[in-house]
Amino acid sequence: MNSTPALLNRILLAVLGLLLLGSGLLLVLLATVPAVAPWWHSWSAGAWAGITELFSSTRFPGGPESWLWIVVALALLALMALMVAWIAQQGKGRSNLLAAEYDPGDPPGDVRIGGGVAEQALKQALEGRPDLAGATITTYSVKGLPALKVRLLPRQGVAPHLLAAEVSELLRALESVVGKEIPVLIHIGAGARTRFGRAERVR
Amino acid sequence: MSSSVDNRRADNGSRGNNGPDMRRVLFRETHSSRAAVSVAAAVLVLVLAAYGVLESGVHAVGQPAWLIEPQVAAQRIVDLPAGIPPLLLAAIGGVLAMLGLIFLLNGLLPGKRARHLLAGGGGEGLPAVVVDDEVIASSLARRARLAANVTPEQVMVVVSQRQVLVNVRPTSGIPVDQDRVLDAVRDELDHMLLEPSPVPRVIVAPSGVIGA
Repeated sequence: MNSTPALLNRILLAVLGLLLLGSGLLLVLLATVPAVAPWWHSWSAGAWAGITELFSSTRFPGGPESWLWIVVALALLALMALMVAWIAQQGKGRSNLLAAEYDPGDPPGDVRIGGGVAEQALKQALEGRPDLAGATITTYSVKGLPALKVRLLPRQGVAPHLLAAEVSELLRALESVVGKEIPVLIHIGAGARTRFGRAERVR
Repeated sequence: MSSSVDNRRADNGSRGNNGPDMRRVLFRETHSSRAAVSVAAAVLVLVLAAYGVLESGVHAVGQPAWLIEPQVAAQRIVDLPAGIPPLLLAAIGGVLAMLGLIFLLNGLLPGKRARHLLAGGGGEGLPAVVVDDEVIASSLARRARLAANVTPEQVMVVVSQRQVLVNVRPTSGIPVDQDRVLDAVRDELDHMLLEPSPVPRVIVAPSGVIGA
């Protein structure tokens, strides 16, 4: 439900995996198959000669070092920035706004309802239910639009479809209070609390 | 069953202009996002790049290298099979290849979570429901236990994407009616309207437990 870039994650992981797998296999082959060594020598020596040529042709005027080192350092810094940006993209998407609408009444203005309204109201409504070991309600912003995620932890043996139907009723009541249809995702899950807690016996 | 799913999808589509695409949300909810592996990969690249920046920066200002001169390192790589024990080289290569394989498979495999969609329930404007397989299993186990008239410890249910396996161990001397258990489980599944819909199977163990 959050805006983790799932496709980007997969592409970048596959690329990085291919690179690592390729270099690892090359090292293994170099160590085990003698015939690979001459091929590697001829190829890498040529490449290395080209690189040294490039470095020696780009020296500072009057200095021993190449300015290409600075370029390399800057490129690596850019790579680091990209990696930090990639990490920062993971798991984003929580928001604190349930509904926002322009109200042309008197006086005119924006009406905003915070996510805490839904969270507190639903928590209150679900509290004390014998078939639930816990419930968390979070507001997300999916592509800029508010959505609710209701995570329920039922006790062992609770029928998920009946629970979902009952919570749907609560959500409908909430929608009529807020006055707006909110997309909702109900996740009925299992956790340590439900696994080791007592089973619900009577209902 | 599939028709009700289509109806619900159509509902979501009709109000899709003022809400997010629920189908996409459901896909993301039933598939793993690879966030943890991605962060690990990014940190790995970060550390390597940081070391590279250090060495090349130190080199650019003409200072001695911190760990190894880049030219020396490159020269060592060029004449690689020489200068290092082959066993060590193979081990390093193996570790690298293993790491690469883990990342690659994480990128390519579907990564389905053990969850089902719930298509049934209320009427129109229904919220999307995702259920962990564990919850389905415990609900089915309760139903099967009541139908077989055994204790909770004698029933084990395994729910996978397309199959539900109910193992019942009868009490010694009291036979368990396999069809009755199967009917009960099937009835519960019909009410749940899971998507994808699993096929139930009941296995009654040939030996019973004593004193249950």
